[in-house]
Amino acid sequence: MKQLMAMALTFLRIFSRDRQAIFFSLFFPVIFISVFGLIGSAGEDPIAIGVVDGAATPLSQQFIAALATQPRFALTQGSEDTLRPQVIDGSLALLLVIPDGFDDELAASTLRVIAVTSQVRQLDLVLPVLEQALVDIERQLRDTPPLFTLQLEDVEARPQNYLAFLVPGMLAFVVMQISIAGSGYNIVEYRRKGILKRLFVTPLAPRHFIGALVVARSLLCLLQLSLLLGYAIWILEVPLAGSLILLYFVILLGTATFLSLGFCLGSLAKTQQTIMALGNIVTFPQLLLSGVFYPIDILPGFIQPLARLLPLSFLADTLRSIAVDAATLTTLWPQLLGLTFWCALFLFLATRLFVWKDVAA
Amino acid sequence: MAPIVEATALCKRYPLPQGKGHFNAVDGVSLRIETGEVFALLGPNGAGKTTTLEMLEGLTDIDGGQAHIAGHDVAREPYVIKRLIGVQLQANDYFEHLNLQELLRLFASLYGSNAQPLALLDQVNLREKAKARPAQLSGGQKQRFSIACALVNEPRVLFLDEPTTGLDPQAKRKLWTLVETLNAGGMTIVLTTHNMEEAEHLCDRLAIMDHGRIIAEGSPQSLIERFAPTPGKAPTQGNLEDVFLHLTGHDLRE
Repeated sequence: MKQLMAMALTFLRIFSRDRQAIFFSLFFPVIFISVFGLIGSAGEDPIAIGVVDGAATPLSQQFIAALATQPRFALTQGSEDTLRPQVIDGSLALLLVIPDGFDDELAASTLRVIAVTSQVRQLDLVLPVLEQALVDIERQLRDTPPLFTLQLEDVEARPQNYLAFLVPGMLAFVVMQISIAGSGYNIVEYRRKGILKRLFVTPLAPRHFIGALVVARSLLCLLQLSLLLGYAIWILEVPLAGSLILLYFVILLGTATFLSLGFCLGSLAKTQQTIMALGNIVTFPQLLLSGVFYPIDILPGFIQPLARLLPLSFLADTLRSIAVDAATLTTLWPQLLGLTFWCALFLFLATRLFVWKDVAA
Repeated sequence: MAPIVEATALCKRYPLPQGKGHFNAVDGVSLRIETGEVFALLGPNGAGKTTTLEMLEGLTDIDGGQAHIAGHDVAREPYVIKRLIGVQLQANDYFEHLNLQELLRLFASLYGSNAQPLALLDQVNLREKAKARPAQLSGGQKQRFSIACALVNEPRVLFLDEPTTGLDPQAKRKLWTLVETLNAGGMTIVLTTHNMEEAEHLCDRLAIMDHGRIIAEGSPQSLIERFAPTPGKAPTQGNLEDVFLHLTGHDLRE
């Protein structure tokens, strides 16, 4: 136990003095979430539409005023000749032409919508709003109360934006990166330098060596993630809905899982190049498939069931459920079970592959 | 008195690359090293010196034969052996980001020893480098630091694998002095070398190895008398290098 403590303290000292590694492990995630934070806070731009008031009647003005109250639109008024080119060059999404004679007397009139249909993705969104505005005005004029109204009730007590989605995924990704690097890459490096061999001739038991590395890495991982989490919560104001203790527990489980995977890779790889390649082989697919940057739901259907079973998927999903939905153990247990399964599997493989004598020699 | 290091018919087999059979890197090596001796394994590259040493240290599995250190079976009691011996390996890199003092403290703690880092550095003449990192040391200083690390548990047998390879004459002499001082304190020292001068200068006895076997054994003087060319008229002519080349041939070993 004394050996384990001495070794763990040594590892902590070594890792904490490796400023460069710590810096880069946090630098990119911070840049990532900062950039997305800035994009997210800008909100959606209103759709620029042009209006040509060919009627200039009280009714047409009422209609334009009704449209102007829609926050989704930015209205520009003018003549058809001046506004038409702006539709073509793209600065206006579409141009609405109110025909001459648009007033209460007339039973029906046709409004022209001029747009480059292939370029206006929002047309499906815009046209219903325009129609609704027209229907409202019509009802007012005819004094007919609407038969149906829709009332939207917001049951989401939390603001959901991309940053709130991204941050837990990023945490999961950082856990994976620093854990695999922390065990796998380090072991290969220590072997190459003959350090493992040198430790092997001391009475240090292999389980104490591994235990010390796991303890030191886990502590450092928690510290690094706390910095990242603190940055997200206090600087970017990403809300944390669920239990912080549960969040840390899951982070620790994730650390143990990926440290074990790192031990497996570090035992298999004999050179720095091999461990880099192996590391990329296991991390890249997970980066793309595990719902770090975008939900698994948007992946092709046949990949989804497999993608959901990846260790990083379980970790990202659990962290996100805790952070965003305030999920507790009662709902999280299936994912946690999945993650525990991976952890047990990697741990088992690591004990088989990491044979002290073979790895050291 | 029983020898402190005793090996009987040690064998180490490695599979051949084509997967057909195996070859014996060490092929029936027997050694008896007495307490307080400086003993050298001499041989060209690939003769099996390092493998023999690693089997005695417990670093490599023994495929045939037996080895005992101070009466303890190397294969059966590895953790007893580890506490009896000090080891300096050919590769002498250490953890980055730690200075000499911290590294010595780490090694001491792995043995549960109270050895004082500064006292150990005094022993190898490196006190002024206590706060330096191993990467900042010269070749000779690195080797002396490796020996300091091997001394944390006050070993009864000290194994040195090519301790002076690549050192300049000054550094080499300094290391020899260190080995002599340690030996004067009663420590048994087993080293490998392909430096004849070193074997002749330092060793009480030596064994010349080639192709995994011991081909000659004895004190430097007795080997010179027996094997140096043109004996008779001038029996003590020639040196150990003549003996070595006479026994192992002139072919290059690479």
